Amino acid sequence: MPIVQFAPFSSLVQPSFWHKLTDLKVDVLKLSDDHIPVSASYSVGRTVKDRETGQEVALGCNLTVGSESFEDDHKPPSGLVLATGTFKNFNTIEEFKAADKTALFNQEAQHIWDHILTTRDSSLLNRFLLITYADLKNYKYYYWFAFPAFVSKPAWEIAEEGWKSATEEFKPEQLAEIHGHIRAQTTPSPFFLVREEAGTTSIAPVESYESFFTSSSTSHTVAFIDPSANPQNPGWPLRNLFAYLRALYPTKTASIRVLCWRDSELPSSEWKSRFGVVQIAGDPIEGRPTAVGWEKNPQGKLGPRIADLAPMMDPTRLAAQAV
Amino acid sequence: MQALQSSLFAVREYLSPVLKESKFKEHGRITPEEFVAAGDFLVYKFPVWTWEKGDASKTRDFLPSDKQYLVTRGVPCLRRATSLAYTDADEDAERLLSFADSSAPSADGDEWVETHAGRQAHRTDSATNAGEIADIPDLDGDGPHDYEERIAKGLGGVSLGGGGEGAATETPDLDDIPDMEEEDLEEGDDEATAAPKVSVKPAAGVVDASTVEVAKGNLLQVRTYDVMITYDKYYQTPRVWLIGYDENRTPLTPSQIFQDISADHAQKTVTIEPFIHSASLQAASVHPCKHASVMKKVIERMNNSVVEEQLAQRGKPSPSGKDTPKKEKKWPFSRKSSGSAKDVQPQAGGEEEEVEGMRVDFYLVVFLKFIASIVPTIEVDSTTSF
Repeated sequence: MPIVQFAPFSSLVQPSFWHKLTDLKVDVLKLSDDHIPVSASYSVGRTVKDRETGQEVALGCNLTVGSESFEDDHKPPSGLVLATGTFKNFNTIEEFKAADKTALFNQEAQHIWDHILTTRDSSLLNRFLLITYADLKNYKYYYWFAFPAFVSKPAWEIAEEGWKSATEEFKPEQLAEIHGHIRAQTTPSPFFLVREEAGTTSIAPVESYESFFTSSSTSHTVAFIDPSANPQNPGWPLRNLFAYLRALYPTKTASIRVLCWRDSELPSSEWKSRFGVVQIAGDPIEGRPTAVGWEKNPQGKLGPRIADLAPMMDPTRLAAQAV
Repeated sequence: MQALQSSLFAVREYLSPVLKESKFKEHGRITPEEFVAAGDFLVYKFPVWTWEKGDASKTRDFLPSDKQYLVTRGVPCLRRATSLAYTDADEDAERLLSFADSSAPSADGDEWVETHAGRQAHRTDSATNAGEIADIPDLDGDGPHDYEERIAKGLGGVSLGGGGEGAATETPDLDDIPDMEEEDLEEGDDEATAAPKVSVKPAAGVVDASTVEVAKGNLLQVRTYDVMITYDKYYQTPRVWLIGYDENRTPLTPSQIFQDISADHAQKTVTIEPFIHSASLQAASVHPCKHASVMKKVIERMNNSVVEEQLAQRGKPSPSGKDTPKKEKKWPFSRKSSGSAKDVQPQAGGEEEEVEGMRVDFYLVVFLKFIASIVPTIEVDSTTSF
């Protein structure tokens, strides 16, 4: 059976984030390189129809940070899922280069893992790490995101037919019911459980796994807001959700029905959500699994990215193009 | 020069009074209240749009503090407008679109011309082609991560177009950019990570953006844009702002943004200016000086067809004497779908004065269709399904 491959997060940094960082650096942080809490958001994976070829083109699996990311009590607009992370800005490029990135990464991964075991809470599963160096004089920002995800050994596998449309498993009315439940939440939770009981479909937080999936209900499904739009690749958040379920409910999760929720609105034609049944062999290993998740740069290498905002920030460059 | 002009415009806008009276049908301008109403409608109908409050120091007191401007993020842009050079041959492909009735063009000329209908991107050969030239600023204005590529292409020292960007700033030494690849950070390749660039068999009719090939053989470069709509107090119209990202989610340079704007407007009505709701952000903006007159024309035409439609729905002959068939309409400017209290207007007598015509709520929906003609490849108009 094919191995389940997850679409990694791609960071999208709005220019306003760098403007905010510049202000912070000059006015607040100064030479401090402490860890700062930061937030980001993602939405369901989107596709766009190419008007010339008629194909549906999947857009990236984006995690977005903007100027609001440094606000403590930021509430994302409806339909977006909030992820929290750690931000660290280095004062010099040498420090940025020499930083012990493995240690920083492991610290985050350990934090997620401990949180799973001690609190049984899924709120930190999407935690990320962002390290930066801001070359303020040249309007250049070096940055590197990491989205720690636990590696499952052996890997999760999916049946030969792969991921299929959710409508092959659920009736449209059921999906509409789920959609209604998601919309009714004040803050949409990135992960939830779906069950069917006495003809009605209901959802619940993943924390209530044992009490919600009772013997009187059927169609037990684990669902998540899926930032990927690629038909055969569920998004990155599912990896840590699997790790979470394997760690807490090892006996019940050798096979999991997964619903990748990709419909932010009631669809006019067809549902985009995907469904699949995944399996894993063997018992979960003791202790924390290894984690991966450094973002690759545009060349496909493990390395930082550079945002060059000089064309949009440097007064002389702006003056030059305004003729 | 432009900074002067910008600040002059800012002062002028500051001094101009807030429009109080509704005039949108007479000259295409709207009041702040109407902007909010039209914005609320847009947000309600198309949840991709949201209200933002912007920078607190830039709050404009004639708008509600939590409804300062509208924004939608990650708007896809599959192709460059520069590849859509319009030729005579394409004129044959034009289609007339009618807003009143999409199936049969009506006789009184309230159609729009749909250009670029069903066109393929131009297959271009390097000798004659303009697109090739337009691509060069792209290389020139890019960040240092592209320098290697530039040198590889033998373009390293050449500065072509792009407003002298290469010359204006010191070209960073390649040594400045530290080699920060750390391949040993993670052991080997993780088999459960989906490789983004590997061509995936397009299952279920969805293809990955990075694997799409256009006719030319190039990879499709899907850019995304954040689109903002603010209210311009001087021109009394909405104003559009764009911030773009390339396929690697790197912010676009001005010259790259101009590739996505139709040639008639690039660097004429579209300029890079400080975004009015932020202390420091710069964005590309469509200058609103002609918005009102264009909107007036569009609204006039639509209003006529809407009025006609509404009359027809009352079972009265329309002023032109033409019988509009009572069929399911695509365009929603009818009282039936507007869903407001005005729906229950008394039918008494059915005087023509009571016909409401187009409501101001639809202003921004129409406005987006107009903007879509300026940025033909950016899918700002999410309202086509409407």
